[in-house]
Amino acid sequence: MLKQWTLALALLLCTGQALAQATASGDHVTVRWLAPEALAAKESQPLGFYFEVDPEWHVYWRNAGDSGAAPRFDMAVQGAEAGPIQWPYPQRLPIEHLTNLGYEGNVAYLFNLAPEAGAESVELTVDLEWLVCKVDCIPGFGKMNLNLPVEPEARWQESERERLNTFAARVPRSAEASPWQAASLLTGSNNALWLHLQGEGDAPQVFPLDGALLGAGKPDIEPAEGGYRYRFERQPGAALPATTGFVIAQGGSAWELPAVALGSQAPQQGQAQALWLLLLAAFAGGLILNLMPCVFPVLSIKLFGLINSGASGGARTREGLLYSSGVLVTFAALGALLLALRAGGAAIGWGFQLQSPAVVLALIVLFWLMALAFSGVFEFGHKLMSLAGNASGGSFVTGVLAVFVAAPCTGPFMGAALGAAAILPAASAMAIFLGLGAGLAAPFLLLTLSPALLSRLPRPGPWMDRLRQFFAFPLYATVIWLAWVLGRLLGDSGWLIACALALWLTFCLWLGGQSGRAWRFIGTGAAAAGLIAAFAYLPAAGDANSATAGQSLWQGYDRARIERALAERRPVFIDYTAAWCITCQVNKKLVLDTAHTSELFAKHNVLAIRADWTRHDPAITEALAELGRNSVPVYAWYAPGTDTPKLLPQLLQERMMTELFQPPSGDQ
Amino acid sequence: MNILKQGLLASVLSLPALAFAVATPGEAAPEFSEVDAKGKMHSLADYKGDWLVLEWFNKDCPYVRKHYGSGNMQSLQETYTGKDVKWLTVISSAEGKQGYLQPVEAQNQAKIHNLNASAPFLLDPDGDMGRAYGAKTTPHMFIINPEGEVVYAGAIDDNSSANPDVIPESKNYVAAALDAAMAGKPVEEASTQAYGCSVKY
Repeated sequence: MLKQWTLALALLLCTGQALAQATASGDHVTVRWLAPEALAAKESQPLGFYFEVDPEWHVYWRNAGDSGAAPRFDMAVQGAEAGPIQWPYPQRLPIEHLTNLGYEGNVAYLFNLAPEAGAESVELTVDLEWLVCKVDCIPGFGKMNLNLPVEPEARWQESERERLNTFAARVPRSAEASPWQAASLLTGSNNALWLHLQGEGDAPQVFPLDGALLGAGKPDIEPAEGGYRYRFERQPGAALPATTGFVIAQGGSAWELPAVALGSQAPQQGQAQALWLLLLAAFAGGLILNLMPCVFPVLSIKLFGLINSGASGGARTREGLLYSSGVLVTFAALGALLLALRAGGAAIGWGFQLQSPAVVLALIVLFWLMALAFSGVFEFGHKLMSLAGNASGGSFVTGVLAVFVAAPCTGPFMGAALGAAAILPAASAMAIFLGLGAGLAAPFLLLTLSPALLSRLPRPGPWMDRLRQFFAFPLYATVIWLAWVLGRLLGDSGWLIACALALWLTFCLWLGGQSGRAWRFIGTGAAAAGLIAAFAYLPAAGDANSATAGQSLWQGYDRARIERALAERRPVFIDYTAAWCITCQVNKKLVLDTAHTSELFAKHNVLAIRADWTRHDPAITEALAELGRNSVPVYAWYAPGTDTPKLLPQLLQERMMTELFQPPSGDQ
Repeated sequence: MNILKQGLLASVLSLPALAFAVATPGEAAPEFSEVDAKGKMHSLADYKGDWLVLEWFNKDCPYVRKHYGSGNMQSLQETYTGKDVKWLTVISSAEGKQGYLQPVEAQNQAKIHNLNASAPFLLDPDGDMGRAYGAKTTPHMFIINPEGEVVYAGAIDDNSSANPDVIPESKNYVAAALDAAMAGKPVEEASTQAYGCSVKY
């Protein structure tokens, strides 16, 4: 302490005034304070450490990059409060195949200093350590101190103030002021992290703050919607944090985006229109869902109930609103679940309901009983009718049911909307879910609200029995399809469980149908026992792995194989599919598994990959996420020599497959 | 249409023709075959069944001097080679660049530095092994398990100062990773940012 004072005193005497400039120096570097002659009271003001560095030598930024080290400032301050070090944005300094982030030539590291109330002077002491490199590196150490008077106004030497301002201009400003905003930060293949920036003008420079996560090398830049996409190299094996920071520099200014969330999209004004369009698409997708084969049976049940009831206008409106709220509440709940799981970092796919054997089996039971009732095997009566019929809870339950069976059958619009929902902020994602729900509910609501439309529906009569019986058949078909899904999930035992349970329940219905209350109890008890046994057996059956069927042309999903083929400039076609996705099966039957397509693929040596998502394979979930999707079907086509896929429509035609191999037309 | 475009734009799949597969924790270690200062060949296959530490070295780098001048690196080598861990210290400096050593000089330097590795410096003047591992700095440390998988890649410790005085209060990542991995536990920090001088390729 005494020594320091002596030094400060000596310096004061030397300069003959209050300006005390202690310096520290080492090979190729001299460091001095960048400070005023007097500090202003009651004001936070910038000061700095000025590094005079020999030409061609460099010192480092806060993230030094592939090698090197940032300088260290261990400060002790009396009579004032010092802020953290502010780092002017750096430049990239390549060394062979490595890259450093730093400054060639002179640079100032800044900090804010706020004198305490009533302080007459401020004393600063700093322990410095730095590294200066050309190719070789030399560490330097030093200790400097400074004593500054506090006056009502700051006094600066003009040249010093200008020097400080030069570097202050390069210190990153807050994200709010930035003309560039992060739209998303997503993981890609081959260890890449893609930062999507939106803003006006040429692509700015971008520097990652976390060197343990991202390489310092110049990122590849490509134009993207509303801006550019930057491909950063992730450090091998680096764990993915929830957020990471970047500094953006352009035209001598810089801005810091301190926490860009991984796998998410930041809200911004420019996106309002895009969101509006997405909502519209979600609504349209919801409308189309009404026509999906797995939704129509449910709607037909409800519609049938409505006609049957002969309800008044007010009652019908109530039914319609109840159905709509059932749909919307379920979509909101699913959205909340997806968001919760997304927040938890879990890779979760839409359609996951039908990836659970228990859910599939429950639906089989439900549809089987409904089908039997429609066929007149037992009286639908007041029991099941209250579930899917005209009781007030019934419409709500029908709405819930409609969502669950609709989810896996994503229509052409739904895929893109859901893909966006997976990366949008929570509020927007939820809005998209509700948009889908509104679309699904709208036709039904319209039918119930508008007496004119409803009056066009045929009047009740004897034809209704026939119609009811007819509607049993789509239900039987749905049961077969669901049993097949269960078979895909569990192997052969899936079929066996589903069919045995269906048989048992039918037997129990027959038992319960005998006259006498005792028989009814026995039937109910036997049915309950059968259900419990079947559901209890499910997990055990799930252990037996089902083999994924592979015809010779189609290969299972194998990322390494795909990347190898792309490296060899071999064309690749990936069919992202699942057993529970009807659209997928239709495309497979009508387009993909035809002689026409097989010949085309064989002729052009296409690597055909069938990525089967029936069991929610995490590798496939990840691949879908990279495509911005979380539902199937998705058809990705990599033309020879390209590494970016072209996504085909969700409803395929043979013509489209032929067109893949025709020379591109002029407008491409 | 705009929606479809958005969907396409949301796709982020882009594959460079060939991946530059460097040593990555959790993955198989890159192959290497290099001679040591005494002319003996060492390759990854020779160390199957052994725990192996790779250390990048440049005698003139201040950060290497931090750990050798203080005896920190040698004692780490001694501790773990004493537990049957194999240890190779690699020089990837190109001829004419800082830290490059001819075999005879390298043998001398091994004695001068009190090197406790399993071989006198591995010499990689063409930088093949350094590039294969993605070695960026001296010292850059890698740990490979008996199955040939990388379990750690990164710095020797958590203090990037060049001052040897900070070593006692630094957390040694290599010791922590070896202790955990050899006890069959997961390595808490398997990837860290290596600090020091750049490897002089």
